[in-house]
Amino acid sequence: MKKPLAPRVTRAILLTLFSALFVLYVAGPVAWLVSSSLQSEAEITRVPPNWLPQNPSIANFEAIFSAADRVVTYENRRQGEALTSSFLPSGAANLLPAMRNSLVIGLWVAALNLLLSVTAAYAIAVIDFRGRRATLYTVLATRVVPDIALVVPLFLVIRNLGLINSLGALVVTYLAITVPFTIFILISYFEGIPRDLYRAARIDGCGHGRALWHVYLPLSLPALVASLTFAFLTSWNEFVFALVLTQNVAAQTLPIIISGFIMDFTTSFSFVNAAGVIAIIPPVLMAVVFQRYIVSGLTAGAVKG
Amino acid sequence: MARITCAALTKSYGAVLAVDALELSIGHGEFMVLLGPSGCGKTTTLNMIAGLEEISAGRLLFDETEVTWTPPHKREVAMVFQSYALYPNKTVRENIAFPLRLRGQSASEIERAVGAAAEQLEITHLLGRRPNELSGGQRQRVALGRAIVRKPSVFLMDEPLSNLDATLRLSMRGLIKRLHQELKATFVYVTHDQAEAMTLADRIAVMKGGLIQQLDTPEGIYERPANIFVAGFLGSPPINLVEGVIAGGAFTRGDFRLALTNPPQEGRAVVLGLRPEDVSAGGDVTARVELVSPLGSETHLDVLAEGGVALTLRVPKEWRAAPGDRLSFGIDPARLHIFDKASETRL
Ligand SMILES: Nc1ncnc2c1ncn2[C@@H]1O[C@H](COP(=O)(O)OP(=O)(O)OP(=O)(O)O)[C@@H](O)[C@H]1O
Ligand SMILES: [Mg+2]
Repeated sequence: MKKPLAPRVTRAILLTLFSALFVLYVAGPVAWLVSSSLQSEAEITRVPPNWLPQNPSIANFEAIFSAADRVVTYENRRQGEALTSSFLPSGAANLLPAMRNSLVIGLWVAALNLLLSVTAAYAIAVIDFRGRRATLYTVLATRVVPDIALVVPLFLVIRNLGLINSLGALVVTYLAITVPFTIFILISYFEGIPRDLYRAARIDGCGHGRALWHVYLPLSLPALVASLTFAFLTSWNEFVFALVLTQNVAAQTLPIIISGFIMDFTTSFSFVNAAGVIAIIPPVLMAVVFQRYIVSGLTAGAVKG
Repeated sequence: MARITCAALTKSYGAVLAVDALELSIGHGEFMVLLGPSGCGKTTTLNMIAGLEEISAGRLLFDETEVTWTPPHKREVAMVFQSYALYPNKTVRENIAFPLRLRGQSASEIERAVGAAAEQLEITHLLGRRPNELSGGQRQRVALGRAIVRKPSVFLMDEPLSNLDATLRLSMRGLIKRLHQELKATFVYVTHDQAEAMTLADRIAVMKGGLIQQLDTPEGIYERPANIFVAGFLGSPPINLVEGVIAGGAFTRGDFRLALTNPPQEGRAVVLGLRPEDVSAGGDVTARVELVSPLGSETHLDVLAEGGVALTLRVPKEWRAAPGDRLSFGIDPARLHIFDKASETRL
């Protein structure tokens, strides 16, 4: 039976209204980021601000991609006037190398994270071994400690290993941060896969490796994608560990370099925002590509009831 | 590998003893049914045979080979689950082919085997579909296909028909029986449905509380139940059980007396078992008809005899009776079951 018309209309209006508010709240800052990256410094600081750039200019982006060719000397480092947007921070040339570092680290973290957490989660969720609960709680307990408390011990460990200022140091660190979470995500997902499918696979001739490969992985695509995205984004955005564990452009990541732009003598907000736009491109691409895998109902039809 | 021997097979979950020192030997090509109420350990037993459940104690042998610790994928048994357990991401064809693919068979071999199995189960037209596009009966056929395509010598089935409706269950029962005759494999079949057990089994193991109560042919179990539990578990409507004592070579309860051909010792407290159908027209037992339930092919009568003995009778539809009527019928003493009241075992 259909509901009467009036409540349906009210419902639709309310839903639309709140969705719109929510979108505004979430997308507003991003829109401003993009818009301001196309504005001159003078335009950004104007009151009231312009939501749409009056004289859109890609000068900031040009500057980012040409920064490497520009020789920065003491004489020319303060050249240019911030308000006319010709100003370039001294570290601008580090932006693209840092982005490359971030990408390399992010991809390694995502790949290794998946490898580690998929196998660990399978073992804990599926195999009935002595101490599986204890294992799970131990893994999760490591995430109860706030990151900031781990900075110093981790720094000492990494330094003693001679890994300071290397990409590997960050990869290892980010794995330690992300793997417990992704194990947890995957365990809950694996446990939701009907146990009879595991039994059927074992009977049909799968050892654990093949049961994981042929049955669990194809049915866990949404969780795998979520884990992958989470691992990549965590690594992409991380700041504190990167700040402590890296010292120069050989291993520094995007958040470190970008934050450096506002510690300079003069800050060009339009340039920082342009860098910000570049920094959100990979995550946005990732979200666009992966969102279609985040679907439910993959196990429909497997078992009765 | 075709003979299965369980020697003191035991499974405990912490303090719960799910299967208690089970002794069972299943012959080559035999159709063995494990029958019992919910929670009696049927599935656990089957899973131990399959290797899906670790064996707590005891030994399991396939022919002369001990397989107690062999992982399931090395045991070469096929299994059909109550829930069908089809791989939802694979088509019907891929589902059936999966065990063969894992064994590294060639594409043409697989194609041929899948085609043959599909034909046997009449699901050829479904090969391209996915499990969520199938009805329950079709899914169970696919699950059977996945089992038979490997031509294993042992089939394990855990209540494969209990999710199907009554008509479908009947036709699938026939299909399974035919498969058993054609494949000449050893079947171990779990059910709590007595009609399935009776029609399919070469032998039935009736279980309760992790123990086998009786192991016999369907006829043996029905005709000579070893104890009150087995007698009550099989038969529909269930067997009439009446408590009483032996007096003067007859079963007695108040004014209700039945002479016995082979009476136990005088004064013993016993339970009399009378199958509803074991009555004949005209005889020396009289009772008042309380309830008449015509079923078309036969009629069930609830009657009250002397001594307050309430009985359910299964009689031919020609017996016309109305509530309140007095009814006389005969009981063949040779068809009575007498159980000891204390031990509940057959005397
Ligand atoms: N994983 C488990 N942990 C603890 N107890 C269990 C477990 N699995 C089964 N049991 C217990 O073992 C006993 C036997 O269970 P089983 O599944 O073999 O029964 P069943 O005869 O197959 O019953 P049903 O007809 O309901 O399927 C039950 O008492 C059950 O509670
Ligand atoms: Mg069961």
